[in-house]
Amino acid sequence: MSDTAVEAQRLEIGYRNGRDVTTVLSDVDLTVPQGEFLTILGPSGCGKSTLLRVVANLLDPLGGQITVLGNTPEAARRARKTGFVFQDATLLPWRTVGQNIRLPAVVGGRQARALPDTRIAEVMALLGLSGLEDRYPSQLSGGQRQRVAIARALIDEPEILLMDEPFGALDEITRDRLNDELLSIWRETGMTILFVTHSIEEAVYLGQRVIVMAANPGRILNIHDLRPVKSDDNHCQRDNAAIVSEIAAQRQLLAEAS
Amino acid sequence: MTRLSNILAPICGALSILLAWQFLLPLSGVPAYIAPTPTKIIAVFFNQTDLILSNFLPTAIEALAGFFIGNLAAVLFAILFAYARFIRMAYFPVVLFFNTIPILALSPIIILIFGLGMTPKIIIAAIICFFPTLVNMIRGLASASQNEEELFRMLSANKFEIFLRLHLPRSLPMLFSSLRIATATAVIGAIVGEWIGADKGLGALIIQATFNYQSDKLYAAIVASSSLSIAMFALVALVEARVMRGWAR
Ligand SMILES: Nc1ncnc2c1ncn2[C@@H]1O[C@H](COP(=O)(O)OP(=O)(O)OP(=O)(O)O)[C@@H](O)[C@H]1O
Ligand SMILES: [Mg+2]
Repeated sequence: MSDTAVEAQRLEIGYRNGRDVTTVLSDVDLTVPQGEFLTILGPSGCGKSTLLRVVANLLDPLGGQITVLGNTPEAARRARKTGFVFQDATLLPWRTVGQNIRLPAVVGGRQARALPDTRIAEVMALLGLSGLEDRYPSQLSGGQRQRVAIARALIDEPEILLMDEPFGALDEITRDRLNDELLSIWRETGMTILFVTHSIEEAVYLGQRVIVMAANPGRILNIHDLRPVKSDDNHCQRDNAAIVSEIAAQRQLLAEAS
Repeated sequence: MTRLSNILAPICGALSILLAWQFLLPLSGVPAYIAPTPTKIIAVFFNQTDLILSNFLPTAIEALAGFFIGNLAAVLFAILFAYARFIRMAYFPVVLFFNTIPILALSPIIILIFGLGMTPKIIIAAIICFFPTLVNMIRGLASASQNEEELFRMLSANKFEIFLRLHLPRSLPMLFSSLRIATATAVIGAIVGEWIGADKGLGALIIQATFNYQSDKLYAAIVASSSLSIAMFALVALVEARVMRGWAR
């Protein structure tokens, strides 16, 4: 078993529209070890979502190499080793909370396998959703909806969780709460998380490393390693002086990038 | 309070109009063979119940059968067109062309082919329901968001699962809005068919009453046919509320 979660070499990423090819990101080199919490920061339109979609195998790269858990992104997706959380939660309004979380057990051909009710209860408890199983998405708050989306992504225990601005639409208090809960889930499960955000504070607070991207042309500007300033105790301290100064440094980088 | 006034307000509105109609009409000098008073119309339902019922039933059967056949065919064709690209490209223009033929021009042909029984009326009612539902259903089946499509792709869902668990439920709001409208058009189709050739049904009764200057019977037939539409509409609304329970925003 390989111990890198994602490995990319000279990756070219873009969209093919018939004959037209729009390159969004070029020359992406990236190695993400298993178990890392990596945040991806950058201005709108620089290609953050596009990068995640390539890792998720929702988009094929134009060129270069990419492996996910030592295999192709497609193999990782088919084995349910990658999970995706969308910004707008993407809950199906005709399914209850419980039915939404069970979706991975209902579709997916051979990958769909029955889940014991205990697993559902476990994941719902983990995300503070106990008692909401029979609600419809329209009866939930924005924060609760994101919790359901995360529960659905976690239900068949992926090794890599891809999150595209999952808390971007939430108020600050809810977002802070969910950030802390996500960190504790990450610690408990030991999975790899690739987390896209617009917020410098969030990126620095959550990530062990922060990828700073630039637009026009889209590229990785800098990969910032925060592990030296984050011990296990201060990972969760927002007012830690080292983290605050990192935030200031990222802000400077982003300002130069745009 | 608001619930009660929600119900009471339209009743008051309708009652006031009926009262005005009842008492102002005789004063206006409009002759009774042109416009009867509401009580005269109601009297037809009591005094000639058999006449109304024996004409109501055939129309109801035609409209209901046409509604089911036309919409069912539309849903099946929509699924075919949505998933078989070549068939859509080959036959959708043909369907579009047929839709441009006015139903009034098509009806005599259908009556010529199928005679004077109920069949041609059912066919006309079915045709009139078919096209709007077809178009709505095709749109509905394609109305899932990009994220929803990608969610199913992440889960490696196969085509049938995507159809059953995503596209089909996604199409329901558009399907039901089309079915609601079809309740009225199905009744129109049945009545138009009866105008062209029938000795039974509300359409036939309307024609007979008109030529015999029996305005009370004419208006009673109109009330009966709109009651039919309303009943069918209520049925669709009921099914819709059950099927889509919980998913309103
Ligand atoms: N389907 C597509 N076809 C062609 N170009 C696309 C497509 N989707 C996105 N793009 C382009 O790719 C670029 C990157 O888009 P992407 O969504 O990855 O940006 P992002 O960094 O996630 O932005 P945001 O922060 O606003 O979500 C943009 O310039 C966008 O216009
Ligand atoms: Mg994005």
